[in-house]
Amino acid sequence: MNINLKISKNNMKNISLSLLSVVIAVIVLFPLYWIIVTSLKTEQEIFKINPSIFPHTFNLKSYFVQMKNGDFNMFRSFGNSLVISITAMLISVTLSVPASYSLARFTFKGKRICILTFLITQMLPVSVILTPMFIMFKNIHLLNNQVSAIIADATIGIPFSILILINYFATIPKELEDAALIDGCTRFSSFIRIFVPIAFPGVVVCAIFSFLYAWGDLVYGMTFIQDQKLRPITAGIFNFMGQYGTTWSYLAAFAVVTIIPVVIIFVFMQKYIISGLINGAVKG
Amino acid sequence: MEKIFKKVSGKIGFEYLYVLPALAYMLFFVGYPIVSNFILSFHEVSVLTLNSPDKEFIGISNYITLFKDAVLLRSIWNTVLYTVLCILFQFVIGFALALFFNKHFCTSKSVRGFLMIPLMIPITVTALIFKFMFSSNVGIINQLLQTLNLIDAPVEWLIQPGTAMFALIFTNIWIGIPFNMILISTGLTTIPVQLYESADIDGANSFERFLYITLPMLKPAIQSVLILGFIYTFKVFDLVYVMTNGGPVDTTQMLSTYSYKLSFSLFKYSHGAAVANILFVILFAVSLLYLKYAPIGEENSK
Repeated sequence: MNINLKISKNNMKNISLSLLSVVIAVIVLFPLYWIIVTSLKTEQEIFKINPSIFPHTFNLKSYFVQMKNGDFNMFRSFGNSLVISITAMLISVTLSVPASYSLARFTFKGKRICILTFLITQMLPVSVILTPMFIMFKNIHLLNNQVSAIIADATIGIPFSILILINYFATIPKELEDAALIDGCTRFSSFIRIFVPIAFPGVVVCAIFSFLYAWGDLVYGMTFIQDQKLRPITAGIFNFMGQYGTTWSYLAAFAVVTIIPVVIIFVFMQKYIISGLINGAVKG
Repeated sequence: MEKIFKKVSGKIGFEYLYVLPALAYMLFFVGYPIVSNFILSFHEVSVLTLNSPDKEFIGISNYITLFKDAVLLRSIWNTVLYTVLCILFQFVIGFALALFFNKHFCTSKSVRGFLMIPLMIPITVTALIFKFMFSSNVGIINQLLQTLNLIDAPVEWLIQPGTAMFALIFTNIWIGIPFNMILISTGLTTIPVQLYESADIDGANSFERFLYITLPMLKPAIQSVLILGFIYTFKVFDLVYVMTNGGPVDTTQMLSTYSYKLSFSLFKYSHGAAVANILFVILFAVSLLYLKYAPIGEENSK
């Protein structure tokens, strides 16, 4: 009898806490819901006093209209962003994996300075390198070219990836490496055949975050690329706001399309994201 | 491939060879610009002289001009105010949520995961969403406040000086909460349960347990989250640039947006560089503080 009472009390606590957590989530995530609903409304509906919290009709006009919308085609901007972000991701993963392997497994002169350099660059404000980068790209005729944004975006991904991967490589037992060396592996092949596969979850984390950093970048894409047809989607939104001001239904559609990759990554890779956030911030 | 690799690595040591590409990339595309930015700030550089090799050296006069100008001091003050208020609120709320989700109930893990989403969304989009919500005629915030009879007429949130800063801080807190929450959550999992059990035996109440076990054990996590939070918040750019662009009349002008405005709207490149340097020096000092407390290098150099 007594035990039963205790269980039901625990159950009650469990249910009420769960309900409370859902309420918190609804409040915190409301802005996202709101922008999705807005993207499905007509402009008149948005301007109504006492806005409807639930959409009455699914009006997809805001999405379709932008396909033929000349300079502000958000699907082209989306493609530009994909090209820029994926290339930047590939550069930062390719450079970070070997670097972090070496920094995690070997002691050598200048190692600490190396780690510190990557750490400090991770904390740099964009402003401090923006003007010189602009001048540099201008001189080598890379302005108005997506390569400039790719190069700049990779500088955010590289230090982050290295600092994360150091932790992954450091936890691999030395015995594994010794065994590989005895079996006739060279340093290089043991790196490729043993270390990279074991640290693969870490590599995925780096790839995701390098992609997300590049995807979220506004300042590089906006400053180095002037031509709207080449710009990434974030700069596209900013331009669109400047040109059409407050056509909120179109802006909302723009925002929703920009979030799509983020949501896909979140749904399929959630555990990598949490691990990346924790490792990247606490230890990096 | 492997032969070439062996040959080269025999000469300079393979451990350097692995680090070199990444290091070279960062030195060339980040290190060189930092140095170049310092040099730039001591020269007179405008659109006309941008491409010419001999720019006039004018010492610290860029800095002197800037400090005489009220906007720089204003931006420093704004950035500090913004950072302190953001951190204060996002830390307290994030901490509270971390404690809440540390309890065991069925949805604790999954809901906490969902709360990470604000952190992943491009800031440009976040800025757009909140600009919409704070807009005076169609914004849901005004409509909510009017329904609750808290205000009589719509507030021009982003157009009035005081409220614009409030809107920015509010938005940034939304972005910052998950960051604080996840770091404190991780810190909480490192506290051994035995500590709480023995405190229970000693008859400590929940407040005492929080004060004498949770807080001291979380000290490293709290230090990291506050210092990192400071660094990330202090260099804010996208959010302010999209939501208010420093306006109205520089009341939300931050160091980063001011630097950008000087360089890329007014084309006073050397002034922009000088403001960026001031921002850099402040952040560099804070980064050193972080390095002092964070255990880096030691744990990895096994």
